[in-house]
Amino acid sequence: MSSRYLARRIFQALITIAFILVLNFFLFRLMPGSPERVLTRNPNISAETKQQLKAKWGLDKPLFPDQFIAYIESTAQGDLGLSFKYRGEPVTEVLGDRIWPTIILFGLGELIAVVVGLGLGAYAGWKRGGSVDYMGNGLSLVLYSTPYFVIGMFLLVIFATALGWFPTNGMLTVGATYDSFWERLQDFGSHLFLPLVTVSIGLIGLYSILMRSSIIETLAEDYVQTARAKGLKDSRVLRDHALPNALLPAVTIVALQLGYVIAGAITAEIVFNWPGLGTLTVDALAARDYPVLQGIFLLLAISVVLANLAADILYGRLDPRVRV
Amino acid sequence: MTTHAATGDELRTSRLQLRLRNLRSFMGRFLKRRDGVLGLAILVVFTTLAIAPQLFVGPLETAVTASGMRLEPPSAAHILGTDELGRDMLNLTVHGTRTSMAIGLLATAITVVIGAVLGIVSGFIGGATDTVLMRVSDFFLVLPTFVLALILAPVLLDVIGANAELFGMRMTLVVIVIVIGITSWAGTARIIRSQTLSLRERAFVDRARVIGSNGRQVMSRHIMPNVMSLVVANAVLTFAGAVLTETTLSFIGLGDPFQPSWGQILNAAQGAGAPGLGAWWYLAPPAVGIILVVLAFTLLGNALDDVLNPKLRVRQ
Amino acid sequence: MTDIVDPNVDARVVPLRERRQWPMPKQADPNAPLLEVEDLKVHFSLSSGSVKAVDGVSFRLEDGEALGLAGESGCGKTTTALSLVQLLPQNAKIKSGSVKLYGIDLVPKTENQLLRYRWREISIVFQGAMNALNPVRRVGDQIAEPIELRLGQSKQASRKRAGELLDLVGIPKKRGAAYPHELSGGMRQRAMIAMALACDPAVVIGDEPTTALDVMVQAQILELLERLRRDLGLSLMLITHDLSVIAETCDRVLVMYAGRVAEEGPVSRVFREPRHPYTRKLLSAFPNIRSDRRTLDVIRGSPPDLRVPPPGCRFAPRCDQAMPVCSEVVPAEVRYPDGVRVACHLFPPSADATLERPAEPVVDAPKGPPVVPHEPGAAAGAATP
Repeated sequence: MSSRYLARRIFQALITIAFILVLNFFLFRLMPGSPERVLTRNPNISAETKQQLKAKWGLDKPLFPDQFIAYIESTAQGDLGLSFKYRGEPVTEVLGDRIWPTIILFGLGELIAVVVGLGLGAYAGWKRGGSVDYMGNGLSLVLYSTPYFVIGMFLLVIFATALGWFPTNGMLTVGATYDSFWERLQDFGSHLFLPLVTVSIGLIGLYSILMRSSIIETLAEDYVQTARAKGLKDSRVLRDHALPNALLPAVTIVALQLGYVIAGAITAEIVFNWPGLGTLTVDALAARDYPVLQGIFLLLAISVVLANLAADILYGRLDPRVRV
Repeated sequence: MTTHAATGDELRTSRLQLRLRNLRSFMGRFLKRRDGVLGLAILVVFTTLAIAPQLFVGPLETAVTASGMRLEPPSAAHILGTDELGRDMLNLTVHGTRTSMAIGLLATAITVVIGAVLGIVSGFIGGATDTVLMRVSDFFLVLPTFVLALILAPVLLDVIGANAELFGMRMTLVVIVIVIGITSWAGTARIIRSQTLSLRERAFVDRARVIGSNGRQVMSRHIMPNVMSLVVANAVLTFAGAVLTETTLSFIGLGDPFQPSWGQILNAAQGAGAPGLGAWWYLAPPAVGIILVVLAFTLLGNALDDVLNPKLRVRQ
Repeated sequence: MTDIVDPNVDARVVPLRERRQWPMPKQADPNAPLLEVEDLKVHFSLSSGSVKAVDGVSFRLEDGEALGLAGESGCGKTTTALSLVQLLPQNAKIKSGSVKLYGIDLVPKTENQLLRYRWREISIVFQGAMNALNPVRRVGDQIAEPIELRLGQSKQASRKRAGELLDLVGIPKKRGAAYPHELSGGMRQRAMIAMALACDPAVVIGDEPTTALDVMVQAQILELLERLRRDLGLSLMLITHDLSVIAETCDRVLVMYAGRVAEEGPVSRVFREPRHPYTRKLLSAFPNIRSDRRTLDVIRGSPPDLRVPPPGCRFAPRCDQAMPVCSEVVPAEVRYPDGVRVACHLFPPSADATLERPAEPVVDAPKGPPVVPHEPGAAAGAATP
């Protein structure tokens, strides 16, 4: 992968992040409860007090560049403001508590889905046709039309409430004490299972459809005929010639979909009361805790941009033609 | 051999005949697609429900006019059971159809209009305009609607005020429409732009230019009609996405309990602890509604896309 | 077309068995001709009907020979070649006939059994300018792949051999580390040739190997093929619609039309004195830089729809020497003493012309486009009047 490709991609990512920061900056000014609105809306504050407050919050300086730079500085230092709801706790701390459960859930889910989904899709594309193929296609289509949290709800109702195989709530049993690390892990696992399945199933449906059509297209290429002419076994043709090429568009689309997947995973958390960013979002929205909402926005948006960048880099390593 | 130039009337008639013939051939091809027809049928049913829900289930039940006991499972009196306020689920779900589909329709309209206009302009004019527009659309493509909505929706709502109504729709929902509309146009714009780019090179555009049409005329009279089929297929698929997005946004709490959409019903269900209580009747109707409508739009959209824009690749 | 390879100036043909390092298949018959195809029929099943792409093609390839397969696009030449090792798409089937390599019939073999013969006995040089090389793997690796996997050599030995092959075709060894898109069209074609030689095959089939290349590069590739043939004693089957390529490289030529053989024989004979009307038309369609003619001859009409092929001789509708019998009876194949085989009613069996395959009268007269395409009945026919 040429350094030009890499440099271009990083540059684009940085520009997008810059846009995000700018957007965030301007929205901050519009938020109710933001210093500006408090000042402009409230007629009871005397002009003097207004001036004092303005100076205190740095609002008497011009919007751009001074306020903007101040904003960038504070953000870069990790100061995202103070939460309205959690009584002045720094937003970064609020987010920090909730971020790991989401990363575990989303990370594992994505991993499982990539392996299983791409695998199933490759198999379906290889053995094209037949009733299994059509049924699988239909099932995937239905799954694609179902929001993640709906899948979650039904899994919960069936497996947790009705059958009682799994807990319905949270990440660990409330008030439990553990005799060993193993016990704790077990409890964690049983709570993790249903949310993980929820996130994975949706993705598996998507990825398998994707991979299937990619493999079908790849198998029609000339070099696959060459490989067969070489007398290579079918499994080897698939593994060494078809798959590496079929993965390329798949990687691209997986990357494009990442944003939507993150959104879906977060809503799935809500159903299971999984203590991650999803439940935080609902609470923050209900309480109109703008600093936290902004923090979530910033976090998610930048994550999506970085994830896309990572996917681009991965693509660059997989496809030698990207050396222009 | 005719010795007179065609009159305006004759041109109009022959153009009409051509359109009718095209329409007939399109219908022929479309009706062969069982998936598209199925999707259309499902949509017709739901649209009927959406247009006049009162005809089917009466007015929307509220906390005050609730007709049953709380969280009753399905029974003879309430076929789909009741919610935690005692409201009939069938009633709620049918009314929810209207809200969900109305939001989807309006959001799609905004998305498609913005996307098509920007796509055509960007593709046709090219140059700096194109580059700038594409950069902006990249930004919107990367960020999921959900993430942007997190910020935009509450801000807009607080700025505008939640209790106002616009054409009978509460502001909360109007905000959702706006947010979905202004964040989803990027995909449409990209598709339309590449089609415009390829059309621009075609001969008839040059001919139009030669006879003196200006840019705007060329765009509206020549490019737009040829892009239409692409727009239609894309619009249907966008509708599917809009319904899904609205559902998600309502579920996380941006919806309106007074004009509940399916997503809002599910939000209420989650809040009432329905999954943990095993109240599947609270969850199933709106869920099934969502799945069916999104599936129907997806099937229809794919079928339309295949019929209107056949991919002419020759395979061995 | 006066510059024609004279078959009498010989290639020092080293017999295959002597020069090969790798063992022959156990069932190989040392006395059989290298490749013998008899009455091969290949049909494609489309939703709109069954296409008789190859309908009774026979020919022979001897050790060290170069046979050219000529004809228009769609006449079945590529299908014929691919069907030798059954590399056809899913909807194609060999309906009947035999393909004997060293006397071993490959047609009844299963996919697994055929693997032994692919590349090791029969290899194919595809149009390298197209997508025939895997774009994400290095060229050297792709050449080494069959050596390692099919011949069981070590990775190191395979790489070394691949380097030698690259050398042989005139590509610097270190270019083996390149990816296909980094090579020019001509180099890609050379690489494909090197790859085809990797397992030291008995027969190398070239499927339009020079078509997408410009004239200078084309000349280089042909020169390379000729050199390899002489040095290695290769047996070559060259498929092309370009007769000048055949004239330059091949000993014998097989002219196909609409899935059947029109004429076959030594290049010098067929090109100097074409017998079949189609061959004549084909040759006259090529401009001769030395002749006086200013206009090109064109064959009127277009190739037939092979779902409903014309009854009798398939060229009859376009032939300006057609007789009534031509659309009623499939002409017999006869061979003349100068080695040329021709299938045309203008050349019926006689004292001179030995019958090789009898004529087949069409059983039904066609009534407009038949719904079920009819095949000429296999009458144990007497020769036509």
